[in-house]
Amino acid sequence: MTDLSSTPSNSLLTEDKRTKKRNAAERRFRAFGLGAILVSCLMLVILLISIVSNGASSFKQTYMAFPVTISQEEFDAAEGSILKTGAYNKMLQSALTEYLTTNDLLGDATEDDVKNMISGEAAADVRRLLLANAAVIGTEIDFNLLANGRIDGYFKGRVTRETAALDTKITGAQLDLADRMTEDGSMVTRFNWSFFTNPDASVQRPEAAGLGVAILGSLYMMAVVLCLALPIGVAASIYLEEFAKKNWLTDVIEVNIANLAAVPSIVYGILGLAIFINFAELHQSSPLVGGLVLTLMTLPTIIISTRAALKSIPPSIRDAALGVGASKMQSVFHHVLPLAAPGILTGTIIGLAQALGETAPLLLIGMVAFVKEYPAAYSPELGLFGEASTALPVQIFNWTTRSDPAFVERASGAIITLLVFLLMMNALAIFLRKKFERRW
Amino acid sequence: MLPLTIPFLATIGLATLGYFLGRSRAISVAGRDMRVLNALPHQHGLNTCFSTLLPPLAVMLVWALAARIASRKGVMLAPENPTLVYIILIGLAVAGLGLSMMKISRDFRARNASERWIMGLLIFASTVAILTTVGIVLSMVSETLNFFGQYDWKAFFFGTTWSPSFSGRGGDSQLGIIPLLWGTLYISFIALAFAVPVGLFAAIYLSEYASPRLRSIAKPMIEILAGIPTIVYGLFALLTVGPLLRDVFAEPLGLGDSASSVMTAGLVMGVMLIPFVSSLSDDIINAVPQAMRDGSLGLGATQSETIRQVIVPAALPGIVGAVLLAASRAIGETMIVVLGAGAAARLSLNPFEAMTTVTAKIVSQLTGDTDFGSPETLVAFALGLTLFAITLGLNVLALYIVRKYREQYE
Amino acid sequence: MKDINLAERAVTMNDIKIAAKGVQVYYADTHAIKDVNVEIEDKTVTAFIGPSGCGKSTFLRTLNRMNDTIDICRVEGDIRIDGEDIYDPKVDPVQLRAKVGMVFQKPNPFPKSIYDNVAYGPKIHGLARNKADLDEIVEKALRRGAIWDEVKDRLHAPGTGLSGGQQQRLCIARAVATEPEVLLMDEPCSALDPIATAQVEELIDELRQSYSVVIVTHSMQQAARVSQKTAFFHLGNLVEFGETDKIFTNPEDPRTESYISGRIG
Repeated sequence: MTDLSSTPSNSLLTEDKRTKKRNAAERRFRAFGLGAILVSCLMLVILLISIVSNGASSFKQTYMAFPVTISQEEFDAAEGSILKTGAYNKMLQSALTEYLTTNDLLGDATEDDVKNMISGEAAADVRRLLLANAAVIGTEIDFNLLANGRIDGYFKGRVTRETAALDTKITGAQLDLADRMTEDGSMVTRFNWSFFTNPDASVQRPEAAGLGVAILGSLYMMAVVLCLALPIGVAASIYLEEFAKKNWLTDVIEVNIANLAAVPSIVYGILGLAIFINFAELHQSSPLVGGLVLTLMTLPTIIISTRAALKSIPPSIRDAALGVGASKMQSVFHHVLPLAAPGILTGTIIGLAQALGETAPLLLIGMVAFVKEYPAAYSPELGLFGEASTALPVQIFNWTTRSDPAFVERASGAIITLLVFLLMMNALAIFLRKKFERRW
Repeated sequence: MLPLTIPFLATIGLATLGYFLGRSRAISVAGRDMRVLNALPHQHGLNTCFSTLLPPLAVMLVWALAARIASRKGVMLAPENPTLVYIILIGLAVAGLGLSMMKISRDFRARNASERWIMGLLIFASTVAILTTVGIVLSMVSETLNFFGQYDWKAFFFGTTWSPSFSGRGGDSQLGIIPLLWGTLYISFIALAFAVPVGLFAAIYLSEYASPRLRSIAKPMIEILAGIPTIVYGLFALLTVGPLLRDVFAEPLGLGDSASSVMTAGLVMGVMLIPFVSSLSDDIINAVPQAMRDGSLGLGATQSETIRQVIVPAALPGIVGAVLLAASRAIGETMIVVLGAGAAARLSLNPFEAMTTVTAKIVSQLTGDTDFGSPETLVAFALGLTLFAITLGLNVLALYIVRKYREQYE
Repeated sequence: MKDINLAERAVTMNDIKIAAKGVQVYYADTHAIKDVNVEIEDKTVTAFIGPSGCGKSTFLRTLNRMNDTIDICRVEGDIRIDGEDIYDPKVDPVQLRAKVGMVFQKPNPFPKSIYDNVAYGPKIHGLARNKADLDEIVEKALRRGAIWDEVKDRLHAPGTGLSGGQQQRLCIARAVATEPEVLLMDEPCSALDPIATAQVEELIDELRQSYSVVIVTHSMQQAARVSQKTAFFHLGNLVEFGETDKIFTNPEDPRTESYISGRIG
């Protein structure tokens, strides 16, 4: 204490050397903290920008609009042939060539160039339309046909003249043609409703790929999770929170639930594969198995939040019910449970949101399969939710593994869709919490 | 499949009927004055309903399980004539209905009886958690043993090469877990090295410094990161972070030309873990009593001195628990490494090289064409069991530490 | 009141250590301290008494700016220590608190060893040049805290393992170790049993030799036992301030009398 300059007996109005140093350390520390928050928020922003900039264009799609007349004879001939869509494709191609010639748009494009402008999926669309509505046969119809994925990519900036020069699937002449058709008004970019309704499409036809089956499959699974996880979770929580005596068994259950909440999701996938598919012989890729796996995964979350909700109800409520002669069971079901309902609901929605975004376990139970048919909720052979299906996050994964960059756009668009669903669910949870929040 | 749909529906129908029958019988027993009944008609109805419903359901469950186990052993338990099954099950339901109807009298304590049934259901629900764990362990243990029957366990745990052969069965496949564990730990280490400082500083700033306004903006933003599905992070790694790291660091430094790398997966996983670390630490820091802060500030410590020398040491056990939980998350994370880390099993120190992890290999061995007789498929169960054991150890340790920590301040 | 103070000064001859003039404290919209004027002398024990919620603790905390840690708290008026305005923007509360130590209601040892608890203050303020120096400071502080003999054999055991009374004396030793000039004590005995209270009171009497001690208490007996000056607070007002003997035997204000005789509070 001989170093008088550092003793605090100096005047308070002058900052001594040591205090200066300490205050500088304080400012540095604060800057680190603020920096950490900025980094976190920045990461979120970059993540969202990256996804949106990659995926926003998937909500738009390039279509070609030109008149096609299909006569009854042509229709019969096509339906009689072996490759039905191939026959329709030919009709569409010749109709397009005719349209381009009459309007003097053809330029230096070859016949092959013109043919490849149309998506392979367009013929199937036309056939469906004709089969559904025979009255249009023989009349001139203004079809809106999907353009080839590369042409679509050209309007979205994914395909340029430089890349086209290196690409065997598109030529510069086709791009010129696309430009002329746009000026003419026969090539338009519109909102892509079919992205939400179409099933997946083959690797060659990214322009036709949609989320219809995936959304349906995810909905089915959420229904299974809701119907199983909510009642089981609430019943288990009621027992553990209100009735269970403190003994080794309840201790084991407690530790178990806490641990299950932290078990890697892929382990649930292995469980589903071994128990539900190999042992119980439920159908692979079915929303039922997916739902069961997600139920087991969501249960701990629901139990933990339900117990927290039950715990927040003050004992005086229980005492009041018991005091007028209600049984313990009645006090719980008549008073505690209704009061805890908003909390339980909030926890359940958050658990569902988690389940909706889960991918890894679904990969193992075969939901990554290519599914083109819309699954029915019930079929006599396969039972309830037994038909093969896929799910939103798995569809995203599936698309990321395909080489055509058009699928990256689709995957990002699917993520935006998934995030919108999650956002709505979380907003609902927050709304419920705000609306029913109660302080005791 | 056992023909259970018809008896199932019939039982449910009978039980519904039972509720109304029981109720109306109780009302008629009571005569005009409901007060002579020992329990409400509703409770009589419930008791009848549960007595009808639950015994056949329990039998069906046990039966289905037994038949499934038997059929795997090659024995058919399902009788040739399903009518017998119908008669037994529906008979059980009718018997339950009849017996419980006969019990209805003025003195019958239907409330206690129906509550015993409900209690049974509650207990059954809470055993689902245990059954899940049992299911996880059983499903993996039996297939793992199967695997070790075909592949030497020493070669699995100590082998330094991972190269499954895709043509045909076993033979020249080398299935050593070491390179996979190395990739897993390396990626987790990078993730934690990023997430722990950032998450901890963010939590400290939010709980000790931030104005309510900043807190109300920043906290939800960080929490949004926690709600984003891992597949989204995976795509973020694949599309944005991977190419960026390759172009900015790996290629100019001559460290590799792969977009998927340990660094890519580690950093993105780190972003995913930030909210996890920060929200757990936030809880833990807030649990440190205000008296500690006052004591330190009262001695003339600055706020950062108080945090570094009093609050963080006091919260250290809890923070360690949080970090262990985060580590368990990182080790078990799948989608980010599947999309961001690569597929090559490699023992290398270069963080810009592609490596793979236990979880990624579980996915690759169990998707596509799987043959449950070959070691290449079965190895996934051994990998899964190893993963489960590691994360279980971390979780139990972390939960124990956190629980002890909370008790200290309660 | 001015006359009384003049009279006091004549009697005790001690210097004025802290002079507060027109102090107002607000918690958001609540006016917690109303126009308090008080002069606290060096090497004296001054007791603040009054019913709970009267503002005595709040006022105590304004003296080393511990109120700064509460966002909604606002202080007006003029508080000087050795003639320097402690609310001057140039004053660093960190330096101030090194000069004005504080002991809290509940013993709050850090979850560290006994040695580290006491060494904490000297370390952050850089009072020791080396380990030997620090050892010396710690021992001196523990001796002044009248706890040295009880803990000298287990200096590296955790401070939280001590009994309540020992913990509080440890906290006092911790506060003393930074060589403060004023020691503020916020109901230091309220969490202690009678024996521990007696030990702490004895200690306070010894500390008077070197420091100006301000103690908040709601035990009138304690105030009478340990203090030379007493200030009576009621509903945020300083009702009466003077010699302890006089306040307890011959209060001027009827409210003080009511409190002393047990009718309010």
